[in-house]
Amino acid sequence: MSSYRCVFLMGVEQALEYRVSFFLSMLSAAFPIIIQTAMWNYLYGHSDAAAIFGYRQGEILLYTLLATLVSQLVSTGFEWEMNGDIKMGGLNKYLIRPVGYKGYQFFRFLGQKVPRVMVIVPVMAAMIGLAFWQGMPVSAGRVLAFLVSLGLALLLNFSIFYCVGLLGFWLTDVDKLFGTISVVLTVASGGVFPLDIFGGMVEILVNLLPFGYTAQFPVNIINGRFGWARIGAGIAFQIGWIFFFACLGNVMWRRGLKRYAAVGG
Amino acid sequence: MKRIGRYCKLLGIFAKYSLMSALEYRVNFVTGVTVEMGWMVIKLLYVAIVYKAGINIGILTPDHILLFVGTYMLMTGIFMMYWGNFSSLPGMVQQGELDLYIVKPVSLQFLVTLRRLDFAYLLPELIAGTAMIVTGWRLAGLPAGVVPIAGFLFYLACGCLLAYSLFLLPYILSFWIISAGGIADISSALWDFNNMPSMIYEKWFRRIGTYILPVFVITNFPGLFLMGELSPWACVWGVAAPVLFFALSRALWKFSLKKYSSASS
Repeated sequence: MSSYRCVFLMGVEQALEYRVSFFLSMLSAAFPIIIQTAMWNYLYGHSDAAAIFGYRQGEILLYTLLATLVSQLVSTGFEWEMNGDIKMGGLNKYLIRPVGYKGYQFFRFLGQKVPRVMVIVPVMAAMIGLAFWQGMPVSAGRVLAFLVSLGLALLLNFSIFYCVGLLGFWLTDVDKLFGTISVVLTVASGGVFPLDIFGGMVEILVNLLPFGYTAQFPVNIINGRFGWARIGAGIAFQIGWIFFFACLGNVMWRRGLKRYAAVGG
Repeated sequence: MKRIGRYCKLLGIFAKYSLMSALEYRVNFVTGVTVEMGWMVIKLLYVAIVYKAGINIGILTPDHILLFVGTYMLMTGIFMMYWGNFSSLPGMVQQGELDLYIVKPVSLQFLVTLRRLDFAYLLPELIAGTAMIVTGWRLAGLPAGVVPIAGFLFYLACGCLLAYSLFLLPYILSFWIISAGGIADISSALWDFNNMPSMIYEKWFRRIGTYILPVFVITNFPGLFLMGELSPWACVWGVAAPVLFFALSRALWKFSLKKYSSASS
């Protein structure tokens, strides 16, 4: 376990290496919030948007703010490095060392999240406090359920992108493919807009597919849209999908290793 | 005049070689198209929401908004076509790769910023953007004579020059600072303010975005001209801003080049 602790601390150090870049990229995340807030304020001020979209104005504004933060919190980036390891033979050193590759990536991923968490959590807490003050149904139980689902969302997103990274075993050029997957999943997770505002089939798909459980689901717990039964079912879905992607990752890893040629290194 | 002709010819040659390389690496081209389509979906979500709400934004009906977002998509495609040159500028400065280009008998800025053109990014935005402009134009019942079309295209061209000049400025800073990654994030987030017509923002915000950091001029002025909503002063500014910012980018480029120390070679 101590080796994983070292990997975790290494992740923290790595994330702190490029501080200016880190803060500028956090700042740029605020821009879409401004655009969307302006849009929602306009739409809710000039039409019966609550009836059209099924979200009250407070709910949608809190959603806009929190979904961006949650997306930032669960976002990955290690899939690029995994592809590099597979292509350049960097994987060799993990195969002969007493440390699992998945565990290594996971703890480094967690470590790299620490500075981000330290910025995001106070902002998030302030927003939730403000929402409570504005009379939204925020309770201790909801905050706890939100935190649980947030942890599971982090785990789920890791599991999904670990599988994405393993695609490097089979595909030659993945650069733009990873870009596509990342954009599509950001939309599918509700990281831009809550997709259930489009109703019908889209809502059913969001509830069944895993992606909404990495952003949309946790946020809708805290803004009071879901009852306890729906929260329980959602958490069960999160756990189910984590299990699915963990198994898929293991199968892909075993099959991929058989193809692995250990070039370079 | 002869000089302009020479540069146009050179641009044609750059386009030809870029197209040949796109045809050679076809999978790369296809994945480039898919990644751009992913980003397009996000822009379309904004349009879908406006149509769903079915309200006007100021004087703009949803059909006008379709035209505005179409213009934004088309401009994004054109900008993304050469943006890769901007983003590789910091690396070139750091690695001393500019040496290779500095000795060539053409403008260094022209060569460095336009030598590679990525048609994979242009293609989907060009098709979808043009379709949206034409549909919005027709549905909104806007005039389709020679003068409106010529004026629209003229302000599109002005927007292209402004986009090039304005968004080159942050990248020129890479002559001065080491890591420009955060700057890239900020400037692309700034570009996204055009996701919605500028009328959705507060008046003071619109003024800043039109006269100080004129991002709104790039995609809003062609549509506003078409609607006859550009005041005489704005008509002049729509031409003056691109010229002014182009002169600024030229001056800053020349000034920064003196700082170039041909690092590692």
